[in-house]
Amino acid sequence: MTDSSQGKPNDITFTDVTRTFVRGDGQEVTAVDGVSAHIREGEFVCLVGPSGCGKTTLLQMVSGLLPTSGGAITVGAKQVTGPGPDRGVVFQKDSVFPWFRVIDNVEYGMKRRGVPAAERRDIANRYLELVSLSHVARAWPKELSGGMLKRVAIATVFANGSDVLLLDEPFAALDYVTKHQLHDVLLDLWRSTDAPRRTILFVTHDVDESLLLADRIIVIRDGRLVDDIAIDATRPRDVDTLTRPDMMTVKHKLLAHLGLEHGSRRSAAS
Amino acid sequence: MTRTAERWISLAVFVGLILFWQLLSRIYTAEIIPGVPLVPGWDVLVSRTFLSMADYWGGGLGVASVGEGAERSYAAAALSVVTHSWDTLLRLYVGLAIGAIGGTALGLAISWSVWSRRLIGLPMQLIQGLPLLAMVPLFQLWFGTYFIGKIAFIGYGVGVLFVAGTLNAVRNVPQIYIDNALTLGASKLEVYRTIIIPAIFPELRATILLSLGVAWATVIGAEYLGAQSGLGYILVYSQQYGYVDRMFFVALLFIVYASISYAVFNRVSARLTRWVPRASAPARVA
Ligand SMILES: Nc1ncnc2c1ncn2[C@@H]1O[C@H](COP(=O)(O)OP(=O)(O)O)[C@@H](O)[C@H]1O
Ligand SMILES: [Mg+2]
Repeated sequence: MTDSSQGKPNDITFTDVTRTFVRGDGQEVTAVDGVSAHIREGEFVCLVGPSGCGKTTLLQMVSGLLPTSGGAITVGAKQVTGPGPDRGVVFQKDSVFPWFRVIDNVEYGMKRRGVPAAERRDIANRYLELVSLSHVARAWPKELSGGMLKRVAIATVFANGSDVLLLDEPFAALDYVTKHQLHDVLLDLWRSTDAPRRTILFVTHDVDESLLLADRIIVIRDGRLVDDIAIDATRPRDVDTLTRPDMMTVKHKLLAHLGLEHGSRRSAAS
Repeated sequence: MTRTAERWISLAVFVGLILFWQLLSRIYTAEIIPGVPLVPGWDVLVSRTFLSMADYWGGGLGVASVGEGAERSYAAAALSVVTHSWDTLLRLYVGLAIGAIGGTALGLAISWSVWSRRLIGLPMQLIQGLPLLAMVPLFQLWFGTYFIGKIAFIGYGVGVLFVAGTLNAVRNVPQIYIDNALTLGASKLEVYRTIIIPAIFPELRATILLSLGVAWATVIGAEYLGAQSGLGYILVYSQQYGYVDRMFFVALLFIVYASISYAVFNRVSARLTRWVPRASAPARVA
């Protein structure tokens, strides 16, 4: 039994979470294998791991779009049983609805929850301004670039007031400059919200990205949680932060987990 | 190529077709019955053929019918064309609207859940297999030769298309939009209303165009087999007496009405699909 009295409104608890798939050829694959962890309220956590290690599967189970095969996920005091507006998702692929104008996209969730028209227009305009998109509020999504569409998606989940934000490699397809601009946008939005701060689970396979963003990096390999590293560096962080000795140590560790470090290959071979 | 250049070319092709037909009527002068050429030229069509439409005027509005002993007149001919066209177009569009709305609603209902697929999906598949025009007599026996029977028949022909088109379009809605809506707090009904329906519309365009053709075929088919009015009725009558020119005249009316329908449809659908990315992609391929 989970002690519900200790659940803060937006912390996440993984209890021995497992997910198996049956592939087309009848073989069973375990995408997520007995993950247990506790994400504190307001924490910015990056999930790092090689492609196919189960990051998306894990995130989808938190969002409730995918049921677990075993174990349980609790957000606040409530066990996850399906998708809901308390957990906002920014998908890797474009998810902005092409048949609504930008402003109507940002208002979408609020409209579903019955927020009055004038109020939700105000909120939507505020978030569009925070992501520097006020000038395209009335545009169609097809008129926007990839980076702008990501901003719309971020503004949409923030405007919807979710306590927990789940981002699945949101910037993987973007160019270097846009990606770094959006890091700042995301961090600003996260830090600007009045307490309690939102909890963020950010999936990436980009080591530098995780070092720039995270309070804490959780490493997944073959569906298992293999490392859990706290990042103490203060914000704002920049290129120089990444070259600090303590950050370099973490970076080496992460690269080793991804199988990219010579040392790890040697030690694995011996 | 610019828009204006395209228009000029279309116009030239159009005029060319008209001239070609006239030329053909001069070269090939065979007659099916005395006075009725197999290839009626424009001179014949706008004078004698048009006047002969007065035969189908039932009288009223101060214009006496041929049946009442009056001479054929242009007024009677014009009234005849207008009223018979009105009857056909009314049947066509009421049937089309009922079939489109009913078929789409049924398609959405079938896609709703596994159970609805099991319950409605299989019977629908069986119905879809029936040959459309062979069903005309059955509909006549069920509904009589009244308005309602023709509407039902057109609605059925069009509805079958829309069920299949809707089911297919729903299957092609990208999962990510549905997932996004659900995580933003939409209910299943809201997902249908705000995601599925707008998302399937561009794909339904093809179904709508297809159904315009089927609607014309079914309304004429229905009138052909049993009606006291409408363009199909004129067609049966003309065919019985071998009036090729009248049949050709009615065919021309079909072309005019169908062209107007397509133009209106293109206008409306262009506005409704403003959001669709790269609607003009073929321009790059061509
Ligand atoms: N729907 C599915 N059916 C079968 N196998 C799946 C499915 N989704 C994911 N998998 C498998 O689960 C593993 C983890 O996938 P995923 O969570 O997408 O990895 P990541 O996001 O870390 O790249 C992979 O081996 C993948 O092939
Ligand atoms: Mg993934």
